[in-house]
Amino acid sequence: MITIKLRGVWHRYLDASSWALKDVSIELGSDEIILVAGHNGSGKTTLLKIAALIYRPTRGEVAVDGRDFWMLEEAEKIMVRRRITYIHEKPVLMRGNVLENIMYPLRIRGLGREDAAMKAKMVMRELELMDLADKSAKELSAGQSQLVAIARALVAEPELILLDEPFAHLDSRKSGLVAQALQARMRNGVGIVIASHSRGELPEGLEPDRIIVLEDGRIRETRC
Amino acid sequence: MSLAFSEILDVTIRSLYVSGLATLLSASWSIPAAYLLSFRRRVGVLEAVVESLVGVPTVLLGLLLYMLLSSSGPLGFLKLLYTPHAIIIGQSILITPLIISTCYRALRVVAAPYLELALSMGASKSQAMMLILRESAPGVAASAVMGFSRAVGELGIAMMVGGNIRGSTMVLTTAIALGVTRGEFEAAIILGIILLALTIATAVSMKILMGVRAL
Repeated sequence: MITIKLRGVWHRYLDASSWALKDVSIELGSDEIILVAGHNGSGKTTLLKIAALIYRPTRGEVAVDGRDFWMLEEAEKIMVRRRITYIHEKPVLMRGNVLENIMYPLRIRGLGREDAAMKAKMVMRELELMDLADKSAKELSAGQSQLVAIARALVAEPELILLDEPFAHLDSRKSGLVAQALQARMRNGVGIVIASHSRGELPEGLEPDRIIVLEDGRIRETRC
Repeated sequence: MSLAFSEILDVTIRSLYVSGLATLLSASWSIPAAYLLSFRRRVGVLEAVVESLVGVPTVLLGLLLYMLLSSSGPLGFLKLLYTPHAIIIGQSILITPLIISTCYRALRVVAAPYLELALSMGASKSQAMMLILRESAPGVAASAVMGFSRAVGELGIAMMVGGNIRGSTMVLTTAIALGVTRGEFEAAIILGIILLALTIATAVSMKILMGVRAL
């Protein structure tokens, strides 16, 4: 079980004149599906990247299980980050084939090649990616790339998964597969945070427990 | 001049050795510098300075090095003047801005998204660095190839601090210059073709090594 609390978080990009996030305070954790909704430029991606411990906010505190993350030692930060994964809106894939991409989080955790491949293949079967195992990641379509990025996040067995517009490039069948995979993780206590323009973009069966609506960098409302 | 085959081979091997070592030496500090630079947000002035140094005249650098390394210069005690080492040092300095500049451009494109990916996967700093360098490998390698091509083709430094001594510091470019001065155009053209072939072969073999199928 992991709990991430954002308290009074403000964020401004270095060359920007306006704030991307303004005084945001929320709690994200295991065991629930949260939808972060809002129009383009409302701050969804920034919020997710701060919650994923990728961006350090300009102001405010990000606490993981009660401890200020940005005050932790480097080694502790790595261990905490390994409990969370973030999936980019535009998938970032590495050189090499699909299998190697999905094995990456396991390899950096010290797993041997064979064990990592075995675990990666389990997730690949779940998302029907086995046919693409040997294909170069740079040759995939947008939808296939998104699925590989999702598989790579799932294989790490995180306690919290943050997905930025994960269904944008997926057809309804593939969206359904991802929804099933996410629901299975949620039943095991994993928290899911999805950024999307609206609730209507989520596939059937993926019902958010909470909806956080962002507007111009602020939380406009929170619905349960 | 009428160079024998053994002498052409000797000059070619020396050129490869001197410029190859100069490239390795320069890459050892230029690639880390470009890596660090790729994470800095405001590099406008620094970038402009480095880019302007790419075109520094080799004779100017040769002159400065000559003054430093000559017996009356501050580094004269090292007795490096008119040795291959002097050319290696000179060429490594010469190509530093070029390698930093081209390598920085290759790294800048991948640094931010792949750092984010590495962090989101729980990678350590060294693992993140490995990932970023791996993803930018063709660009990084291309910057080293460009550095080598510039080094092997330069004349000013090799002439001024090398002295163009037969059997010791004569490299392809200085041998060509000497051939032209003496009116031995046939030998100069042969050496010129070797020089051209060398730079093309380096670029092609690097591309093959990197697995880039752009040929």
